[in-house]
Amino acid sequence: MNKTWNLIKVTLKMQYSSVGKSNSEKYGVYILLIFLIPFAFIIFSVANTIIQEMYQVLSPSGNESLILGVTFLSLSFILFLVSIGSILSSFYFSEDIESFIPYPFQPYQLMVAKAATPFIHLYITTAIFFLPILLFYGAISHAFFLYYLYGLLLFLLIPVIPFILSALIVMFFMRFANISKNKDRTKVFAGLLSLLFIIGINVAIRLNQDPGQLAEMLTGALQQQNGLLETLTKFIPTAFVGTMALADHDTVKGLLYLLGMIVLSGLGILLFLTMGQTLYFKGVLGLNEGNKSTKNKSISRTKVVSHHVWITYVLKELKIIFRTPTFLLQCVIQSLFAPVFLVVILLLENSASLGELLANFEGKYVILILFLVTLFILGVNPTSTSAISKDGTDWYLNLYYPISMKQIITSKIIAAWMINLLSILLILLASLFLINIPTTILIMWLLLALEVNWFTSLVGTYLDFLKPKLKWTDEQEVFKSRMISLKVLMFEVGIFGTIVLLLWNIPIIQGLWVTTILLFLLLAIAIFTIHYLLNKKIAEKHYQQI
Amino acid sequence: MIKVITINNVTKHYPGNKRAVNNLNLSIPDGEIFGFLGPNGAGKSTTIKMITGILPIDEGSIIINGNDIVKEPLATKKKFGYVPDRPDVFLRLRGIEYLNFIGDIYDVPKEIREEKIERLTKEFGIYHDLNDHIHTYSHGMRQKIVVSGVLLHDPDVWILDEPLSGLDPKSSYTLKQMMREHAARGKTVFFSTHVLEVVEQLCDEVAIINNGKLEFHGNMDEMRDQFKSGETLEHIFLELTSNE
Ligand SMILES: Nc1ncnc2c1ncn2[C@@H]1O[C@H](COP(=O)(O)OP(=O)(O)O)[C@@H](O)[C@H]1O
Ligand SMILES: [Mg+2]
Repeated sequence: MNKTWNLIKVTLKMQYSSVGKSNSEKYGVYILLIFLIPFAFIIFSVANTIIQEMYQVLSPSGNESLILGVTFLSLSFILFLVSIGSILSSFYFSEDIESFIPYPFQPYQLMVAKAATPFIHLYITTAIFFLPILLFYGAISHAFFLYYLYGLLLFLLIPVIPFILSALIVMFFMRFANISKNKDRTKVFAGLLSLLFIIGINVAIRLNQDPGQLAEMLTGALQQQNGLLETLTKFIPTAFVGTMALADHDTVKGLLYLLGMIVLSGLGILLFLTMGQTLYFKGVLGLNEGNKSTKNKSISRTKVVSHHVWITYVLKELKIIFRTPTFLLQCVIQSLFAPVFLVVILLLENSASLGELLANFEGKYVILILFLVTLFILGVNPTSTSAISKDGTDWYLNLYYPISMKQIITSKIIAAWMINLLSILLILLASLFLINIPTTILIMWLLLALEVNWFTSLVGTYLDFLKPKLKWTDEQEVFKSRMISLKVLMFEVGIFGTIVLLLWNIPIIQGLWVTTILLFLLLAIAIFTIHYLLNKKIAEKHYQQI
Repeated sequence: MIKVITINNVTKHYPGNKRAVNNLNLSIPDGEIFGFLGPNGAGKSTTIKMITGILPIDEGSIIINGNDIVKEPLATKKKFGYVPDRPDVFLRLRGIEYLNFIGDIYDVPKEIREEKIERLTKEFGIYHDLNDHIHTYSHGMRQKIVVSGVLLHDPDVWILDEPLSGLDPKSSYTLKQMMREHAARGKTVFFSTHVLEVVEQLCDEVAIINNGKLEFHGNMDEMRDQFKSGETLEHIFLELTSNE
């Protein structure tokens, strides 16, 4: 037991250790948390409204426990989905399993330690979704101490079964499906799936935003299909048992249900540890990265190609981004998320009318809005803010190759710029086919966007150059818990948001042309200044100190 | 004799105020194999990283073939090829892409590249792996691809940090042979090691460093002469590096 506990501590430390994180990063996290408080209030008030309305409709017929049923059911579903990603990354993608194997640990100890991180994610998720509902429901049904005690115990037990279910499914797939042969492909695949999931959720939320309406819809559906819900809850036994335990907490029946829940979870854990051992260790060992081509394939002469140094370096950057699953997901696929989302919204809205609306607006305001949106979309792309950090231990190679640091950094800016071209292209196509923006405005915007692109790529690279994270073992660390993206965005939107606000309100500045040219010049000044700062840092040989 | 690398009064502190290299003076002659010997943590890698421009030099200067690495970094860097102690380079590139990259940044003409890549990688037995990503390579194969990259641009000075660790006997033999050939063509090989036998087999001249200080510099005979005759090299090495 002691050993297991130590193992858990080591794995968690490797994930969450604050060593090597600067103070500003820590404060950044606190600031972010403070920003989240109002957000939490919104969620709370929405949940409260929904529960109250449903309770009023359902309690006359004595069906109010259906609220708990829906909660447990949807919570189980959410926990199941969260588990999939979390299990994949903890059990399969993190590189440390091979370093634990040689030590004299029991397989079940490794399984328990590996499960620690997913369980932290699951408890956070449960806390966010379950605790408010537990409280609100308790308040509205005038529940007593026992209800909250049961609720707390259930809080601890709920994540177990969804976790085990998804763990066994994932492990089964990784063991038998072909995807496990290639870690890289699996990573990209899993990332894409989760992206689609996020987009789906966003669309669903957009389709029904009003909590009152949502509650009405839910109760309607519940009343119509009373039997269906019960069948569904019985399908996930813990959802049913949990509901009954909480609803009947004041009778012996409730206690029995609670004991049933404990037994079920215990059995689940046993199943996980026994079946998991065979499935997991067979699946994870020999999980190789990338493909090795079959031997005896001679290189053809054409493989020996020569390029100019500029081209070869930018190509190298792009190749590494596109071939490293984490980089591909973060820098390319996720950065397309915002434009794709924009397109989806435009498709859902009556976009033709948006075009008309824009046409009625004055050119000045249209270009100002487009400018800010573009700045935001390009600014959040992490390619530039990870330009140096992505190199990791390869960074020092740049120091002895006979290429000037200026050229290396510029190549990295060019690579980030080129990847952002994809986003610009998507927006361009959307505006052409979906919104009917007037051609002059579109051309002005395109020119501005190319310059904005250089600005954001430059600022990101410069800030990453000042303080890169080079000592990573897993590519995720380049993006996780670094405050740089937030800093860059605050810097960029802070400066140009103010400028846009000024331009918007200064009446002398009128018309599309004047505004565009002004923005163009201001951007040029900003770009020039940052290049100057960058060159100064390079001249100070800052690159040898990082 | 012409000196190809001159290290003048070089000192290096790491944060935490440890003198990793302490007032080092060393000159390495042209056309020889020069061994840089010392126990673990002696300061060998630190010295090499200053020579190659990876680490800033706190005090002193380093000249390679007439160019100062600090003042004219690009001209100097073109003159040497470096094999780091950890050969994990650009793991996401294919072997052939890595060699093309090196060829591009060191301006190696295409015709020379074609001939040399084939010859070098066949000698090392990694020719058929060139289309694979470097992260599928073993430690030894990674070292071989980096060495192939250096020999591709055929530098005046070849600098290697602990090059023989992790190589099997055959590859080790091939690499030593290549070092000898490089020196035979009038070029210089400078390498670090903590293994005595390697120095005995290969070197024309040797320097011993311990705790960041130069303990000895001379050719192999001088080294034996300076200490009691009849004593084995191992004894000398232990004696030199035992204090502290
Ligand atoms: N990045 C570093 N930070 C602090 N100390 C270092 C660093 N690299 C090396 N050192 C210290 O400097 C000394 C010399 O190290 P090194 O040059 O790597 O020795 P070696 O001769 O084995 O190559 C050692 O004591 C080592 O601990
Ligand atoms: Mg060393």
